[in-house]
Amino acid sequence: MSSSARLGLLMLAPAAIVVALLFVAPAILTGVFSFTSMTTATGITGGAWQLTSEAMGRLRSAGLAAATVDALAAEHYRIDETTLATAADAGVAAATIEELRTRHGGETFDNRRDFERFLKGLAAKPANVAALKAAVPPFRVSIVNVRYETAAAFDAAVAGSGVALDAAARDLVGREAYTGWRWTTANYGRLAASPETLARLGRTLLYVASTILFFNVGFALVLAIATYYLPKGPGAAVRAFWLIPRVMPVVLYVMLWKWLAWDGGFLSTVLAPLGVAPRNWLLDSPVNAWIFIVLINGFIGASMGMIIFSSAIRAIPQPLFYASAVDGASTLQQVRHVILPQLRWPILFVTSYQTLSLLASFQEILLATDGGPGSSTEVWALAAYNTALNSYTGNLQYGMGATLAVVLVVVGILVSLAYLRLFNFAALVERPRIEQ
Amino acid sequence: MRIELQHFSKRFGDTVVVSDMNLVVEEGEMIALLGPSGCGKTTTLFAISGVHRVDEGRITIGGRDVTRLPAQKRNVGVVFQSYALYPHMTARRNIGFPLAIRGMERRAADRAIDEMAELLEIRPLLERRPGELSGGQQQRVALARALVRRPDVLLLDEPLANLDARLRLDMRGEIRRIQRETHTTAILVTHDQVEAMSMCDRIAIMDRGRVVQIAAPAEMYERPASRFVASFLGSPPIAYLPAAATEGGLRVGDALVPWAGTAPRDTPLSIGVRPEDFGPDGPIRLAGTVAAVESHGREMLYAVDLALGARLRAIQPGIARARIGEAVAWGFDPARMLVFDGEGRRL
Amino acid sequence: MPNRLRSLMILGLIGIASLPLIVMLAFLVIDSFSASPPGTLIPDRFTLEHWRFLWQTLPGRPSIWTATANTFLFAGATGTLLVAISSTAGYALARLDLPFRAFFLGGVLVMHAFPTVTLIIAIFLVLQVTGLYNTLAGVVLVKTALNLPLGIWLMKGFYDTVPWEIEIAGVQDGASRFTVWRKLVLPQVRPGLAALGLFSVIDGWNEFILPQVLAPRSDVQVLSVYLAGLISDDSRFDFHLFKAVGLFYVLPVTLIYMIFQNRLMSIYGGGTKG
Repeated sequence: MSSSARLGLLMLAPAAIVVALLFVAPAILTGVFSFTSMTTATGITGGAWQLTSEAMGRLRSAGLAAATVDALAAEHYRIDETTLATAADAGVAAATIEELRTRHGGETFDNRRDFERFLKGLAAKPANVAALKAAVPPFRVSIVNVRYETAAAFDAAVAGSGVALDAAARDLVGREAYTGWRWTTANYGRLAASPETLARLGRTLLYVASTILFFNVGFALVLAIATYYLPKGPGAAVRAFWLIPRVMPVVLYVMLWKWLAWDGGFLSTVLAPLGVAPRNWLLDSPVNAWIFIVLINGFIGASMGMIIFSSAIRAIPQPLFYASAVDGASTLQQVRHVILPQLRWPILFVTSYQTLSLLASFQEILLATDGGPGSSTEVWALAAYNTALNSYTGNLQYGMGATLAVVLVVVGILVSLAYLRLFNFAALVERPRIEQ
Repeated sequence: MRIELQHFSKRFGDTVVVSDMNLVVEEGEMIALLGPSGCGKTTTLFAISGVHRVDEGRITIGGRDVTRLPAQKRNVGVVFQSYALYPHMTARRNIGFPLAIRGMERRAADRAIDEMAELLEIRPLLERRPGELSGGQQQRVALARALVRRPDVLLLDEPLANLDARLRLDMRGEIRRIQRETHTTAILVTHDQVEAMSMCDRIAIMDRGRVVQIAAPAEMYERPASRFVASFLGSPPIAYLPAAATEGGLRVGDALVPWAGTAPRDTPLSIGVRPEDFGPDGPIRLAGTVAAVESHGREMLYAVDLALGARLRAIQPGIARARIGEAVAWGFDPARMLVFDGEGRRL
Repeated sequence: MPNRLRSLMILGLIGIASLPLIVMLAFLVIDSFSASPPGTLIPDRFTLEHWRFLWQTLPGRPSIWTATANTFLFAGATGTLLVAISSTAGYALARLDLPFRAFFLGGVLVMHAFPTVTLIIAIFLVLQVTGLYNTLAGVVLVKTALNLPLGIWLMKGFYDTVPWEIEIAGVQDGASRFTVWRKLVLPQVRPGLAALGLFSVIDGWNEFILPQVLAPRSDVQVLSVYLAGLISDDSRFDFHLFKAVGLFYVLPVTLIYMIFQNRLMSIYGGGTKG
């Protein structure tokens, strides 16, 4: 390896390490997570074995005989060292315990009534009804809702419950009782089957297309051209002003829009004298919500196009303008025939660039409407975020969120590879002129 | 020190930029690599300096094989077309940079810098930054920086291209003077034939990665190896007439031109006539019409469209000898003409 | 049409389009220093009560000064890290004869287009497992990583503007490639370094989603999270207080922006997210 290659790898190393740990690894993990059933409930690292009522429901629907499930769920009363110790702790008389241990160790009763009858028949039977009632629970054994930390412990408990299971059934019970995450392709199935998927896609398209059309390219062009025709000072001032939404903290910026639209805010107050009832303009109807979403994002996005178009216009050779002025072209004709044709590539660039940015963006919508009203402004990226990290129910669906994210990544990579071809990536990779 | 290139070849990817080049530059000599852009002359320069890897062949400097030696260890001074001064350093620090890198002690370095500044007459400019210097001054600083380390070889890459015409004339002489005074072996890369002819002991003309001819300027002008070389030297350039070998000479149009050379009968040849060899008084007369007359002050430049279907240029001192549109029968001296075969080789 | 009239018309039209922004910014300042009767926007008295957060800690919130210190630390650290890492990696990709250079460059561009949300889910889980959840260091690393593709790409662009001849001259003068970078090239891209640093400090100062998700605990809270928390509780909006805190929050950015506007213009035009 040449000395410069060695130096190059050394200089690249810090970036490579950071990128590998916090870019590549998470990206791969996202892909991995999308094939799991990971949620807050399952935890991240692993789980335990617990026969919950949901698990029993799953067992039934998985085809395990109802009688078997019931048998698993059944409670028993058993006399062994464990239950005796619990009973002693619960205050059951020592004589009773002694009699149970010496004469009845290992006996099992299938229901409470039998067990109570049995207790009443003991020599050292409980002194009164209250003592009898208190003596019963310590002996109750059931595997339902008991948490077993290892599969072996759970299997032993199942075996101990006296239900005869063949190997396949045992596997099934163990699988369904596991509370940790599992490998599954169900997320993709759910995604494909859900009607919400298509709606979400439509909303995302609407969001990206209208923001780019009206602001990131449309209004950016207006600003660039308008400031070109302004004297130097005011032109620069306008451009600086329109950079503010981009530079401002997003929380403050979006909240100021909220204030503008809020039912005690600017719009409502100004419109009140005109007889318009105060309301939250941001959330009162899907149409209004969309208008605000596009405005909020558009005001931010206009600056990049404005700056790029402005410098592109300034790069147009002055003689072209003089020539068209001599030909008697009006300002509008000049824009149409001199400026716009020269902006073809910058427009294409801004469009492609902003498509990717908007596809990925969700902060502004999250802060403004959080997808509301209903889910009428929930775009794909926001859905991924909300599913995985922002659920009100407190159960975050990491697996499903990752699945949504993976779709976004695939689209993003495909689109950006297409752009690399379009904008001639090879030309960016100039060969080094010092060969050592 | 003596530089020697043996069978040097260089490719960029699949493009062969220089192939099988052989060149010897004697100690203290200044040689020009002359050729059109893309002929491989700058690539050759960078291979000698160590910036480009050598794909095939060998390069030695002062007898030492430097083919695989990194640029840092070759002790070669380079002056660039853009001067490539370090913009954030004063002229003094620019010149001193190679010394600082070599770990030279501060006082000794300052003495060397001052000495170099004296030689190049830039003493008063030493504390300025490149941005505050004119093109010519930057050029001198760049030269000083290349020479201060006492390089084994001085390489000049189009050093005058960014100067205006007047300054270029001065610097031509200056560079040559300093090269002589420091007795440094030098290679000048240029596409300007006047620069090459006026500054260098010898010229190597390159075309599409190959050296076509190496010779002293006068010899190359008088006896070019090919039409390509003949066309490259001289301004206004040489012009050509179609000719054919016949009994006892060449047939050019209607005229029979005496020629001592040999060529198969009736092969298409061409003869080259330089503008200074064509005029009202030459022995071989050709009829034509004056198409253009330009005054260059001391001399007049004419273009004559000949009846045989070619155009010759003529340079004549003094007042106008003909008007535009005038029918003339001007001539040239066959002893001065150059004869080329169909492939452009001189016969 | 005379030029003056044309300019006035253009300014008028842009002014109308800018109205929402003008109103927001004007009332951001006005409302933080005044009180107005319900149902109107016109203030009737000057007051500093909305600025009480400066000397007393708001109920349920960390001290504003803790949040401010955290934000400074966060923005400063991400800025420094980003500039340091991008300036070396950018040079390697721009100028050094690196194996797989095209692959790395393409990778940088593709990563630049990577949606943050796709990473943040996995990063959230990774930080939880590694114990970096709810630490500033964790968010700093993540923020730097997410900005790294942009930083590297911009730095490569800056290096591309440095003439090769300067580097060749340095090598010819006997300097190693590292010395050439350190002593000759780096000084040429100082304006670029400054612009990237400023951009990244502002970007870090403004960052919301990463600290919100990865470090929401109050002792590591930054100002954006603090501010968002003020009105996340939908029932009690105090926009006056919000605006006072907001104004306080945005002051450093405003200062940087006003001084270095032109430098930043090139970066915001060079392509950033949003």
